[in-house]
Amino acid sequence: MDLSLLPQALVSGVLAAGLYALVSVGLALAIGVIGIVNFAHGEFFMVGAFLAYQLFVSFGFDPLLSLLFVAPALFVIGAIIYLSSIRFVLKAPELNQMLLTFGVGIILQNLALLIWGGDPRTIARVPYRAIGYKIGNISIGLVPLGSFVISLILVAALYWMLARTPLGRGMRAVAQNRIGAGLVGLEVNRIYLIAFAMSALLAGMGGVMIAVIQSPTPTIGFGFTLKAFAIVVLAGLGNIRGITIAAIVVALSESLVATMVPNGDSLRNAVFFAIIFVALVARSRRAY
Amino acid sequence: MKPRINPLGRDLLLALLFFALLLFLPPLLRGAFGRASVSYLSLGINALVLATLALSWDLLARTGQLSLAHAAFTGAGAYSTAILLRMADVPLWLGIPLGGVVAALLALALGSVTLRLYGIYFAIATLAFTEVLKTVVQELPTKIAGGAPGMNVTALFRPTLAPGMERWELAFVRNQGYFWVYAALLLVAVIISIFIQRSRLKSAFTAIRTNELVAGVMGVNPARLKLLAFVLSSFVAGTLGAVEAHRLGSVSPDGAFAVSTTVLALVTPIFGGLYTTVGPILGALVLAGLEETLKRTFADGYLIGYGIVLVASILFMPRGLVGLLSGIAKRLRRPGGGQEGGMSSARAMTDEPFTAPEETP
Repeated sequence: MDLSLLPQALVSGVLAAGLYALVSVGLALAIGVIGIVNFAHGEFFMVGAFLAYQLFVSFGFDPLLSLLFVAPALFVIGAIIYLSSIRFVLKAPELNQMLLTFGVGIILQNLALLIWGGDPRTIARVPYRAIGYKIGNISIGLVPLGSFVISLILVAALYWMLARTPLGRGMRAVAQNRIGAGLVGLEVNRIYLIAFAMSALLAGMGGVMIAVIQSPTPTIGFGFTLKAFAIVVLAGLGNIRGITIAAIVVALSESLVATMVPNGDSLRNAVFFAIIFVALVARSRRAY
Repeated sequence: MKPRINPLGRDLLLALLFFALLLFLPPLLRGAFGRASVSYLSLGINALVLATLALSWDLLARTGQLSLAHAAFTGAGAYSTAILLRMADVPLWLGIPLGGVVAALLALALGSVTLRLYGIYFAIATLAFTEVLKTVVQELPTKIAGGAPGMNVTALFRPTLAPGMERWELAFVRNQGYFWVYAALLLVAVIISIFIQRSRLKSAFTAIRTNELVAGVMGVNPARLKLLAFVLSSFVAGTLGAVEAHRLGSVSPDGAFAVSTTVLALVTPIFGGLYTTVGPILGALVLAGLEETLKRTFADGYLIGYGIVLVASILFMPRGLVGLLSGIAKRLRRPGGGQEGGMSSARAMTDEPFTAPEETP
């Protein structure tokens, strides 16, 4: 183990945590407000990445500009999916809901495979991709830093919206008691629709950024669904506030294993799943 | 008074008759279609594999445990027989069932730590388990498991070209062998399923699925029965995975633990009709035919068809094909369509495919 790598691993981990928090907070919103455990969440992320890629290829849009187009697009896609399927299983047993979203995820993923094929795509030609800063022996790329900052702004905006705006108060009311919220005059169905569409939007924004950081394939979404699950489960299902801390824990452990453990890079994914597994089993023990 | 027929005996007899017919299917196809029978047999093999996969998943689902770890068990079976062959030169006839045993032992381990997880939490944990297992297998020393690219496995059937034999006849003999092996495996799964459906286990499984707490109070041991279902289900899945490894001729982490295996395993019974013996098999027959067409049209993204079937089944056909057909049959038999009072409560229990207990993480 090489301890000189530790500071770099910590910094990379924290920077990655921003994007993870952004994706997970959307999933937590869907779970917390609507009570839908959305297995298609990562596919919104993937769709965001490929829309940004397509905008770049077709019109030469900078990813930063794409954010402005992808956001409403994902909002609409989320709304369409909610209206055409999720809406009908709101009162169905939880496992029907899960299987339905699983099916929606399979459709989205394979639709992307049909459109873009299975090869990795990336937006490599943006001018700022190669820029980086060096502090001591820690190097920080501008792109990861930028995605961290943008993610933090979006997550903070969501927290602010939930805390301060009438819509956010409505969402929290519905999350606490959907019948009670309906009785005091809130339009529960409209709030569900907006919450689901917003959750898709947040994931899609994350996707735009991953298209610059990595080279995504249409199958990237499922992995991010699982990563988001790891974070959401760690924070406690439906707990939106705990997401930031859980994201930092998960991202740091991933980054530490990848750099500090020999041959750790291939163990990266296992870290997430081990966290999900241990968190779930530990929680289930404590409940009894 | 009508003479009483033992339902268990009748079902077993029907199953045996059905499989006796399957035994004669390959030679019949050969006589009728000649060269084309090779590809018909491949289609038949796909249907048998899908049916076995689906039925084994359904066995577990009957206790309310919705597993996303089926790929883990087929993968474990495939890798066990491959590693046993490579390291200890274990013959295939022993290695294949041992693959099932290893999968069953894994299920026992996974099942005992996830006993307290319900519904969605169980599903997520099993999915995580699959990915961890895949990584572990990938990280095993290359000498043992071949690492990320995987390794080659000897074929189960290697017929040699006899004089006066045509090339397609060779392929036919090979496919016929696999067809019979898979039919035998499906028969094992069907017999397990029938024994469960025609014994007190059926009520016990239904009780656990509906409300585990109440089931426990009424004298059912949920922990033991959930583990039993898990072990039976994964033994079948593991054996299936082992045979598949020998048919495909190679194993790799991405192939053996593919998420698509899990998707197929759960979509088929939901489409065909959950918690029945016939449902998963019926679903497999329809979907295997559909898959051929889909693969030819879409190549890379053919799973989209399964996604659509899954979504449509849950939205429009929550009791699957079996529910649909029995509904039609009932209506035909009773033109008035009136339901007796006694029926409605029984229907209420089966109408929803899943009845999850109150969630406690």
